[in-house]
Amino acid sequence: MLEILNPNFLLRNALYGGLIIGIVAPLVGVYLLARRMVFLGVALPQVSTAGIAAAFIWHAFFHGHPDRDINDFAIALVGSSLLTFGVIVMLALLERRKRGILEGRVAMLYAVAGAATILLVASDRITEIGILGLLKGEIIAIPDIELLILFLGYGAILILLTVFHKELVLVTVDRDMAISLGKRVVVWDLLLFGVIGVTISLGVLVVGPLVMFGFLIVPPMIAGRLVVGMRSVSIVAALVGTGIALVGFDLAYRLDWPTGPTDVALAGVILAVVTTGQALKSLASRVVA
Amino acid sequence: MADALISFHDAALGYDGVSVLEGLTLDIHRGDFLALVGANGCGKSTILKSIAGILEPLRGRIRRGTGERPVRFGYVPQRETIEMVFPLTVFEVALMGTYGRVKPGWPITHADRELVRACLADVGLDDLQRKPFPALSGGQRQRVLIARALAAEPDILLLDEPLSGIDLGAAQTIMELIARLHRDHGLTTVMVSHHLKALREREVVREVVWVHEGKLLRGPAATMLAPDMVFRMMDAEIG
Repeated sequence: MLEILNPNFLLRNALYGGLIIGIVAPLVGVYLLARRMVFLGVALPQVSTAGIAAAFIWHAFFHGHPDRDINDFAIALVGSSLLTFGVIVMLALLERRKRGILEGRVAMLYAVAGAATILLVASDRITEIGILGLLKGEIIAIPDIELLILFLGYGAILILLTVFHKELVLVTVDRDMAISLGKRVVVWDLLLFGVIGVTISLGVLVVGPLVMFGFLIVPPMIAGRLVVGMRSVSIVAALVGTGIALVGFDLAYRLDWPTGPTDVALAGVILAVVTTGQALKSLASRVVA
Repeated sequence: MADALISFHDAALGYDGVSVLEGLTLDIHRGDFLALVGANGCGKSTILKSIAGILEPLRGRIRRGTGERPVRFGYVPQRETIEMVFPLTVFEVALMGTYGRVKPGWPITHADRELVRACLADVGLDDLQRKPFPALSGGQRQRVLIARALAAEPDILLLDEPLSGIDLGAAQTIMELIARLHRDHGLTTVMVSHHLKALREREVVREVVWVHEGKLLRGPAATMLAPDMVFRMMDAEIG
């Protein structure tokens, strides 16, 4: 553990990236859970990945760069953010108009985005650009500039979530009450969707869809089983996310496993242990009673 | 009337451009206690949501307030509409009532927190502040939602079916609470309910509005809840 915490550690950017995502993504995931949008937590990283793959292909074909560079990163970020944000807004509008079944739309979206990603990745050029590692969740080489963008982007998200906590909670939990209190719910909805969109797009670009989903949803689920209250759940979820990022990276480094899947598997094990512990506790209290 | 807190002027109400109620004219004054009654699906909740500004009229006009400042609403929705996946505490739910008065980005003050504690004490739940809201009984949840509405320091309390889905004892407690809040604070109250017996037993309900076949029929509670009137309305519904 001490080795990976050394400032001169070769893969330190990958560790720092994981830690940043481990802290912030669960805070956004809390809103996805509270708003009953968990399925979106699965589908949106896939949509974002399709956007990134499309952006890389676009850039490789039309600009001819054989390697990823900062322009690719910026284009992919803008492309995937716009696509992710657009999809969330479209789904929210359809949901408000009560058209069709949300789960059906999200499932279809997941399948289509997954298929599009595979088709795009099948291109010869995409392997040259090197996003296959990203799709597998191999967080190894994060360039300094990408880490800085991640830090600044997630820092801004953290500030927005903290400053506008009460407005975001209100439109998430009780939209009608928010309107009756004179809140402009469309503005707050758009802010929340924007935060979700940027979090997912930026995270997927750095660590891939699998890790992103793992950090968005699993730590808040663990925290929700341990503590009560939006603020307490948020704090514990961020702590759990940080712990998973740190321990997961250490495990992956020691065992020579891919970092992303190791993080997600670790999160799954913790969730299983907590859930089993609670079930046993409940059983024991019933037996005593 | 010019001094009405809420005024409907020939308003058409509905959803997605399709009107459910047409040509509504209704005035609510400070200090009124009004009960909206009628068959299921007649549009009672639609009227309540329109008062609160949750629904805007498709045609006509609804004036809220007398122009000095916006009316503050204490809205108590139907309990099942905020079934939470997430275990918010009782205090956190009640605290939401203060969010309308605090500017975006500004923190909740100590005074606001004290107010919320006082509101929870007012509904008899100050000892359950740290409990998860979803773990409460139906009656307790309803009281938390009333405390949340009170924390908004409202000009008008709007309650949507506050007695539905709870046992008789809890319903009586809630009805007593609503009556006491109206009496002690002079709080203007509009309540949707199909529990006619509970309304009849409370003298505090001054006026009743029957929502019937898209029209409003308003009168003193004693007249509107008299057995022959109820029979006439229900008979018309059943056909």
